[in-house]
Amino acid sequence: MAAMPVVKIEPRGSALEEEVVSLFDSLREPLLRYLGSLGLPVADGEEIVQEVFLSLFQHLRRGGGQANLRGWVFRVAHNLGLKQRTRKPCAASVSWEWVSDPAPGPEEQFFQGETERRVQAVLRALPEQDRRCLMLRAEGLRYREIAGTLAMSLGAVSVSLAKSLARIARAAER
Amino acid sequence: MRDRDAHLSDKELVLAADGQLSEARQQHLAGCFACRARRRELENAAGGFARMYRETQAAPLPPPEPARARLRARLAEIASQPAARHFWLPPWHAATVGAVTLMCALGILSLYQWRWSHTNRAFDVPSPRLTPGAARIVDRQELCSSALPKNQVVPADLRRRVFQAYGIANADPRAYEVDYLITPALGGADDIRNLWPQPYVSTVWNARVKDELEDRLRDLVCGGHIDLAEAQRDISTDWIAAYKKYFGTDQPVR
Repeated sequence: MAAMPVVKIEPRGSALEEEVVSLFDSLREPLLRYLGSLGLPVADGEEIVQEVFLSLFQHLRRGGGQANLRGWVFRVAHNLGLKQRTRKPCAASVSWEWVSDPAPGPEEQFFQGETERRVQAVLRALPEQDRRCLMLRAEGLRYREIAGTLAMSLGAVSVSLAKSLARIARAAER
Repeated sequence: MRDRDAHLSDKELVLAADGQLSEARQQHLAGCFACRARRRELENAAGGFARMYRETQAAPLPPPEPARARLRARLAEIASQPAARHFWLPPWHAATVGAVTLMCALGILSLYQWRWSHTNRAFDVPSPRLTPGAARIVDRQELCSSALPKNQVVPADLRRRVFQAYGIANADPRAYEVDYLITPALGGADDIRNLWPQPYVSTVWNARVKDELEDRLRDLVCGGHIDLAEAQRDISTDWIAAYKKYFGTDQPVR
């Protein structure tokens, strides 16, 4: 589990800019990965990440809450990503090549064990919201942050993750 | 008693990873081999998924330096603009200021409503002066064989300039799509003369309706049914009239 970036932001001047850039440095890669998993090309992801951190800067400059900034950032990125994906539905399939490709190449077949194929089959069968919960968890988000990002209740997140992980565990055991 | 003795459910075991378990359930977990074994299974599943996710999403990313430099520049630009300030007033002054503020707010609200009712319609179609349309030099074959994205993201500073040109202060990004008059999928240029703020939902002829027209025109152009120049001319002259013409209807079909 990745450590949560510790951010302490004073709402003034260049110190605030530096703190936002620091947060950008620590979250850009996971955000691009998550946006990529939503089906967005890297170029679109980069634009969205820029927008997210500009919004964060404005939010903090207005004296907005500083609790759980990582959750805030992922929530805004998720919403902008979905909006962009709605506008470009053709890109939606890109992200799921890794779980939806029915015919991997010979090299992939060689390295991809039977267990991994079973797990991938489980992932393919999961509802998209459950997969998103898993991906955000894999990015190190806590349950409350996942709930905030996906606009779900904490209980729904834990049920979703428990269900998905139980299926993956079963697939890995067989 | 039951709460303490029953085995933990998967949901509880998942919550335990975030420290979201009650004291009694934590005690049970500490003393229950079966629950700890199940927790290990779930943790292994989570670890396995995280590894697969990172491996399969490990496409090489562009180096962060240009994006960071761009962000710094944009932050500096925003920071150079004055921010709202908070200050303290004694209670008697605060009451007076509150009353004046309320009156001003009501006045501004009235003005805003007046402006909206008088200007909103103007954004259904772009101002010919501000947005005459601009296209790249490209032929049909090149256009239709390229995997050009249908909706390109308009850079934020360009969007801001468009809102500024149209006199929209503090634009709500959820209310407008800064749209290409001639879509890039029809050879439209990434130029302020080809962009205008189009309302999403506040009118019948909104951004989503125009997206349908853009798709239809591209299909017609790439199918060889109309010339690219004709499509560009029709959509830039009056896109609503073009919609009616190509869909054969006076109202949006959806």
